[in-house]
Amino acid sequence: MHQPVGPAWLVWLETSGVAGAMRHWLWLYPLVEIVHIVGFVVLVGAAVMFDLRLLGLSRHLPAADMARHLLPRARTGLLLVLPSGLLMFTAHATEWAASPVFRLKLLLIAAAALNAALFHRGPFRAVAAWNRDITAPVTARCAAVASLLLWFGVIACGRLLAYV
Amino acid sequence: MSTRMIRMLGSLAVFLSASVGMVAGHHGWSGYDSSQTLHLTGTIQEAGYEHPHGYLRLAVPDKVWLVVLAPPSRMENRGLPRTLLTVGTTATVVGYPNRTDPGEMRAERITVHGKTVELR
Repeated sequence: MHQPVGPAWLVWLETSGVAGAMRHWLWLYPLVEIVHIVGFVVLVGAAVMFDLRLLGLSRHLPAADMARHLLPRARTGLLLVLPSGLLMFTAHATEWAASPVFRLKLLLIAAAALNAALFHRGPFRAVAAWNRDITAPVTARCAAVASLLLWFGVIACGRLLAYV
Repeated sequence: MSTRMIRMLGSLAVFLSASVGMVAGHHGWSGYDSSQTLHLTGTIQEAGYEHPHGYLRLAVPDKVWLVVLAPPSRMENRGLPRTLLTVGTTATVVGYPNRTDPGEMRAERITVHGKTVELR
């Protein structure tokens, strides 16, 4: 808690001025937490809404239009979530880096990103063929299920960091 | 599914199963055993007024406890500014031991400089 122990770059991060401000400024930490929550509500919210469409809900809505509306929102969410997450990480960098739950969270985020990339390079290329009133191909529905599970996992890990 | 992807999922599963079982205890009231109430009076050796939780190193006759307090913003609001947690002062804390770390406890309330403050 006082003398951070771990790899040099993590110790450097934890003893930096930014990390000190995160630990000692009365309202900075809660403020950053709020930004983080707003960020992932928008990011995961957009992902979940799109996933549900892929799974067959509201199939009268064109999938390509939904993507065009939701993806920029998801990116906005990412812009809020990443810097705020990094700031909270610096405050106790060595502890977080050593936490299995935190590592699992990073792994799930990477898997969710990979899943999204594969979806865009795969079934989404042919979206014109299943844009409206048609069941999305099985690969698209699998990607939607994976996305839901991965993002719920990310949120669960994030919350459990405070309890394990 | 390509073999590359199957292999990737395989190594993911190995990593995940390796992670389970080495979880270190910390934070959150559920990590503390509330069936065992501790009353500790000792000298403050070190005090941290920091997020997400403040802490004390409290020297009692037989050992030094790591006492987990509340977030600094809450302590400030409840009338426990950082100036009250001075090194060398006597403090009394009532709280619960960590379920896994025998040197750590979480304080429900603290009495210092004649002032009692609820921390939960």
